[in-house]
Amino acid sequence: MTQDNHGKKYKFGMVIDLDKCTGCGSCMVACMSENNVPFKEDETNKKDSITWMRVFKLTNGKPFPETDICYMPRPCMHCGGKGDHGHSPCVSVCPATATDYGHDTGIVSQIYTRCFGCRYCMGACPYHARYFNWWDPKWPDGMEEYLSPNVSPRMRGVVEKCSFCYHRYQAARDKAYHEERRDEIEESEYQTACTQACPAGAITFGDLNNPDHEVCKFVNPDPHQCGKPRNPKAFRLLERLQTNPKVYYISEREWVRKAGDNYRDGEWGKEIHSSDGNSHK
Amino acid sequence: MKIDRRSFLGLGLGAAAGVTLSPMPWKLTDDSSIWSQNWPWTPVPIDGEVTFDDTVCTLCPGNCGISVKKVNGRAIKIEGKKGYPVNDGGICLHGISGLQYLYDPSRVRFPMVKNGDTWKQVSWDEAASLVAGKIKELKDKGMADSVACVAGSDKGSIAGLYKRFITSVGSQNFYTVDTMEKTWEMLIERVHGLNASAAFDLAKSDYIISFGTGFIEGWGSPVNNFLANSSRKERHAKLVQVEYRLSNTAASADIWLPAKPGTEASLALGICSAMISANLYNAAFAQSAGKDFEAFAKFVNEKYDPELVSRTTGVDAAKIKAVAAEFAKAKSPLAIAGRGKGESAGSLMEFAAVHALNCLTGNINKEGGFWTIEQQDSLTWPSVVMDDSATKSYAKPPVGAVTSVIDSGASGAGIFSAVVSAVSGGATDSGQKVLSSVSKLFEVINASEKSPVELLMVYNSNPCFTLRNAKVVKDAVNKIPFVVSFSPYMDDTAQLADVILPTHTSLEMTQDVYSGACIAQNVIALSKSVAVPVYDTKHPGDAIISLAKATEGSVASNFTWKTYSECLESIMGDNFATLSEEGYIASELAPPVTPLSVDFSLFAAFKDSISLEGDAKSYPLTLVPIDTIRLASSTLASPPFAVKTVEDTVLFEKDTLVEINPETADKVGVDDGDYAVITTSVGEAKVRIHLFDGIMPGIIAIPEGLGHSTGAKGEIITKDGSPMAGITGATSIITQTGGVSKNRGQLENLYIGGKGVNVNELIGPVMDPASGLDAAWGIRARISRA
Amino acid sequence: MDSALIPKGAKRCPFPVFATGIAVVGAVLLWGVYAMGLCWLKGLNQTNMNDYYGFALWIWADLAVIAIGGGAFFTGLLKYVFGIDELKNIINLAVVIGFICYSSALLILAIDIGQPLRGWFIFWHANVHSMLTEVAFCLSLYFSVLTIEFVPLILENRQIDKVPFFHNLSHNMHGVMAIFAATGAFLSCFHQGSLGGVAGVLYGRPFAYREGLLVWPWTFFLFTWSAAAYGPCFTLVVTKLFEGITRKKLVKDNVVNLLAKISGWMITTYIIAKIIDTIYWMGVTAPDMGFSVMDFYSNNSFYGIWILFAEIVLGGIVPAVILTVKKYRENKKLLLVAIILGVFGVCLNRWVMVLQVMAVPVMSFDTWALYLPSWQEVATTILPVAYGIILISLAYRYLPVFPQEQELYDTK
Ligand SMILES: Nc1nc2c(c(=O)[nH]1)N[C@H]1C(S)=C(S)[C@@H](COP(=O)(O)OP(=O)(O)OC[C@H]3O[C@@H](n4cnc5c(=O)[nH]c(N)nc54)[C@H](O)[C@@H]3O)O[C@H]1N2
Ligand SMILES: Nc1nc2c(c(=O)[nH]1)N[C@H]1C(S)=C(S)[C@@H](COP(=O)(O)OP(=O)(O)OC[C@H]3O[C@@H](n4cnc5c(=O)[nH]c(N)nc54)[C@H](O)[C@@H]3O)O[C@H]1N2
Ligand code: SF4
Ligand code: SF4
Ligand code: SF4
Ligand code: SF4
Ligand code: SF4
Ligand SMILES: [Mo]
Repeated sequence: MTQDNHGKKYKFGMVIDLDKCTGCGSCMVACMSENNVPFKEDETNKKDSITWMRVFKLTNGKPFPETDICYMPRPCMHCGGKGDHGHSPCVSVCPATATDYGHDTGIVSQIYTRCFGCRYCMGACPYHARYFNWWDPKWPDGMEEYLSPNVSPRMRGVVEKCSFCYHRYQAARDKAYHEERRDEIEESEYQTACTQACPAGAITFGDLNNPDHEVCKFVNPDPHQCGKPRNPKAFRLLERLQTNPKVYYISEREWVRKAGDNYRDGEWGKEIHSSDGNSHK
Repeated sequence: MKIDRRSFLGLGLGAAAGVTLSPMPWKLTDDSSIWSQNWPWTPVPIDGEVTFDDTVCTLCPGNCGISVKKVNGRAIKIEGKKGYPVNDGGICLHGISGLQYLYDPSRVRFPMVKNGDTWKQVSWDEAASLVAGKIKELKDKGMADSVACVAGSDKGSIAGLYKRFITSVGSQNFYTVDTMEKTWEMLIERVHGLNASAAFDLAKSDYIISFGTGFIEGWGSPVNNFLANSSRKERHAKLVQVEYRLSNTAASADIWLPAKPGTEASLALGICSAMISANLYNAAFAQSAGKDFEAFAKFVNEKYDPELVSRTTGVDAAKIKAVAAEFAKAKSPLAIAGRGKGESAGSLMEFAAVHALNCLTGNINKEGGFWTIEQQDSLTWPSVVMDDSATKSYAKPPVGAVTSVIDSGASGAGIFSAVVSAVSGGATDSGQKVLSSVSKLFEVINASEKSPVELLMVYNSNPCFTLRNAKVVKDAVNKIPFVVSFSPYMDDTAQLADVILPTHTSLEMTQDVYSGACIAQNVIALSKSVAVPVYDTKHPGDAIISLAKATEGSVASNFTWKTYSECLESIMGDNFATLSEEGYIASELAPPVTPLSVDFSLFAAFKDSISLEGDAKSYPLTLVPIDTIRLASSTLASPPFAVKTVEDTVLFEKDTLVEINPETADKVGVDDGDYAVITTSVGEAKVRIHLFDGIMPGIIAIPEGLGHSTGAKGEIITKDGSPMAGITGATSIITQTGGVSKNRGQLENLYIGGKGVNVNELIGPVMDPASGLDAAWGIRARISRA
Repeated sequence: MDSALIPKGAKRCPFPVFATGIAVVGAVLLWGVYAMGLCWLKGLNQTNMNDYYGFALWIWADLAVIAIGGGAFFTGLLKYVFGIDELKNIINLAVVIGFICYSSALLILAIDIGQPLRGWFIFWHANVHSMLTEVAFCLSLYFSVLTIEFVPLILENRQIDKVPFFHNLSHNMHGVMAIFAATGAFLSCFHQGSLGGVAGVLYGRPFAYREGLLVWPWTFFLFTWSAAAYGPCFTLVVTKLFEGITRKKLVKDNVVNLLAKISGWMITTYIIAKIIDTIYWMGVTAPDMGFSVMDFYSNNSFYGIWILFAEIVLGGIVPAVILTVKKYRENKKLLLVAIILGVFGVCLNRWVMVLQVMAVPVMSFDTWALYLPSWQEVATTILPVAYGIILISLAYRYLPVFPQEQELYDTK
């Protein structure tokens, strides 16, 4: 198996260093602010609170004082899907083609005006990365003044999710085009809002197809195994489901790496986590 | 034509077929999808030219450099400024949310005067003459000293103007909120005989022992600390966190030492003892620069032997010795005290115990060490002129005067002169050992039959929320006959005011800002106005200047500037031009070269730090505040975006969740999610339980930053005599909670207001006998199922 | 009062009694319509669904009614394609039930989507890879077929039948009904299957995911098979209900027993396939994804292993045994138990494949997501039931739904 985007233009991805992440939430808010994400009076029901980037808090489950915690930021994984061919769990199920896989970028798009709100894609995504607009977005008087024209505010009844700040890619592409560089976007020209904001420098973003890019150096993705990281400290969430995410995590802590997937008793520690998660067939 | 059943049916079917085959259904279907994309209530932001305006965030003492992204001059996003010395592009969630403060629904839209239960809109001139009239009246009666002001800090030109105003009137009653920076300053003066601020070169230190400091909870200059923490991970520099709870900092640390609460100082001295007995300290430094070192060595060896300390702190003696050895061997070890939000200022003696560690390594004013930074208050104020009555009133001590029991030590100079000069507004420097404490102020008012303060001005602070025993503070504020708030928001204190003179929010105004917050660099910056004022508000500098002019007489003559900007330009001197051009001036990233002496006598005089309020029998548990960077707990109420990030294990619906260990929960008979009542000698509150393994048994931890009241009580009458309309404007669209809020017209922020419990309603202040400042870090408590 | 409309010779309750009954059910219907209106006007925030529970109560109802409405296509298939002629005596009822179930399903889908005005995007911007696209196409086409199958019955109403045009139309339609029934059966097979596929293709949801054949997961075939197997149970339950309420015999025992027997054998084969599927899923599919079976049935307050037992044993093996063994089948009480258990079994299967799928945690740090529907959801879920009762009562009253009714009445 080779990755679909191998040899294609770009395959944008993200690497998050969980040992650096402080759980500060800047990425969450940077994303809300960049992407016109609305808010409501009560956001404490986390199951209906739109956070394209959500920081989960994990614990190792041990009693005091052996306890440890880890924060895990979760944007959309921009899954390549089985075989990394672009059949992401969500894209493959959308009946109206309202979410699509960009074969030239690896980015999973979401077209709000096409989406009719069946929510099938939400059921398909194991990462809870998709959010439904249960309400009309509404801002306190005057506050809609700060909305950005680069991302259209969504209407009630449609699904939204992290876009890898696609409008920033468009802007970088346009700029390159105007400067007659055609397809050559510099690593620094296209960075997502969360990457840029993270005060701990825990997030790295770039082209996984480009060996010069930091993301590629960090995880050393294996093109013959759908981008599985070759760095033993790196992992992807739910690797075993073969969703082939383009968001990678790094941690020195074994319990954290183990929490990235499901293992039956006794599996972890055997070769399962070093063997090919995609080779179950 | 006769219409029989047949032809009727025929016609009907024909018509149906006709319509179906016509373009109409297609057109309607197509239209429907267009409508559903363009509901009038879904905003369409206007596009235009993109520009960036650089300025400085003033939402917390961190003062990060920020870039405000604008479209057609309309601010749409705030980002961290790359290359800025404090934050190099990083930014915290509150900073990013800056624009939400601009349109905060609780913003006060115009000057208002309270009239019974209602607020009445008045013009700025009316408001100023009303307040000025009261002040003149008091001054004429010889009661100028009953005018007081509480400000958030005394740094910078604006705070300077307010202090100047109070002094000009003839009062020493200018108060700032206690901070741990103050405690450090006192300690530096006592131990090193210097008038300087503390700074920590975290980014270069290779071994840090932190006594409860939340580097990544928001301590000091938050983003600066995040950067330092990340660089620490890259450099493999070690962090040892002493804390009874697995905070984010403790989780990020290499070693977590959960010492029993209140025993941190003992642990520090235990480490000192281990270092000295194993000869691991910097003897050359201690002997050459130190005074009374031998006494200190004897003291800790006798009283703080690691075995003994192990018993009091609960930390294994072997671990204490191991940490002592590693600390001593490190190239640039650093010990830090100061749990900022847990208390106001912290216990001076606890800070001293921790600082003894720095003094043993001698890593002071060196790379990666503890720095004493000269205060760079570069403002030159014309001297204050007082008339007779003002001079007379000024001689009276402040209402909230406290005396310190600490001896003046060997360093000679009046140890608290820095603080004293702050008290006296720079006008005199008498060297008296009198401090003013804002907690004490409200305590005295509350205890007096008639309030000794007749008129209180509140600028850039929210004492009714942030001071310990907030209920007492509120009662005191209610007792004061005339309260003037300069707040831009209908915050907890403004609600109790008689007059509100609403000031600009930070993005609407220009001001000078000074990095402090313990960062190892001096950065002076000009925070610029990047947004047109949204409402009929004034720059706080202009507000006080016009108030001074309306007060006339000698007060007015101390405020000759026409505007605040004229004032800033004249008092800043040369820096003004540079700042206007460059935005900021940063000092070298090098340790200070000040020669250093260490007086170990203070350390040797260590007495156990602060004991908690309440008896152990009726209150078997310890209640402590905790914090997360996601909830602003002092500087402003959290913006909606930040509140959205708060976990449901901290706030759920309108309930605060408190953390307790499952073992404690078992004993008390509560389970995860249960309602429970916490009782302390100060108050009680209904909360919910969150079980957390990472907290020491016997402790209840309660989040800071919740429990703000929602906003204005009472109706607001505008100039034309009509009640203020709902701010959201009544539309038929359902709001996100299911209905158009009727109270929106009352300057309420329902995104943070009315949610959870204010810690300060459960914890009272504890005066540190050493410093005179509030040093409460918790309180004894009990909890039971509700 | 309305006797002119009632089939000739049929005995019906007095109109006021009928009207009262309809009014009572109508009130429930109006409650449902009100809730539906709320959902359309105010949006899906009226429900207790959330981002973890995007499919909830009424989607289960949707799948369940389609499954039990399966009696229509399967009986049609047996009668028209396999030529089992006795079934003509129950096919009308099967068609009416089918019509009700499918129209209800469409209605539910129209309420369920966040942007009802854009519902047609599913056809216009169709993604052929999506099981839901397949569902939408087959569902609406099959609904058209059912309508066509229903129309002749309507035309048989005494008054309408008097119009020569309708009389002829009806007659001619009967003639070509075999073609429609065959088409319907084909379409129905597909969308029953694609409904199964909806859950089965979710490879991000180890509880739902199944391997399969070509693009179709095993659930595709299991759903079709189970609808065919259990659909007749529901047709029989409704027959028994009618017989109970009217205290009349409406369908002859031989017809009932025949359908019951066929259903029994279908259930038997289905449940064997289902057991094999479950064992393979437990032993291979789920473990490959890092799950052991009990992960799906523990650590929560509702979904225990009992649900698997209930579905397979109570809703599968027990009715299969009763319906296949002549002695049991011909015991009236046991027959009743069996067909009720059958309906229960297939509804439970749909519940599991929709609601439990959403509830099971997938990420190792996720927790079970349980949910309780809001009253609006309950009301809109009951709405089709009320609508169904009304429609079927009207049909029974005014149309010759049970061809043997007269004969049975006369012989009594
Ligand atoms: N987001 C945000 N950042 C801010 C501010 C804000 O309002 N919001 N305010 C700024 C200001 S003014 C300040 S002063 C700083 C304060 O910032 P911090 O000093 O970080 O304040 P806290 O997080 O309240 O306290 C730090 C930790 O001390 C622990 N602690 C409490 N009591 C004890 C004790 O007795 N012993 C030990 N060992 N540990 C203890 C608590 O568990 C807590 O995790 O933050 C600044 N930064
Ligand atoms: N509950 C709680 N209490 C605490 C703490 C805590 O963490 N939690 N921390 C303690 C610490 S460390 C500190 S430093 C103190 C802080 O204590 P305070 O300084 O009293 O607290 P803040 O809430 O920062 O007060 C700022 C108020 O000033 C107003 N304001 C904001 N910006 C401006 C402005 O530009 N101009 C004017 N005129 N007004 C403005 C707002 O109304 C805001 O409510 O609180 C202490 N007490
Ligand atoms: S901004 Fe960075 S450090 Fe903060 S939560 Fe996000 S990833 Fe973690
Ligand atoms: S994370 Fe979820 S939403 Fe994103 S591509 Fe994967 S399945 Fe789709
Ligand atoms: S909710 Fe929207 S994006 Fe998701 S599957 Fe349905 S139509 Fe597609
Ligand atoms: S990449 Fe952009 S859209 Fe995605 S989480 Fe980050 S900021 Fe949000
Ligand atoms: S840390 Fe403080 S100064 Fe820096 S962005 Fe956050 S609130 Fe502003
Ligand atoms: Mo502070």
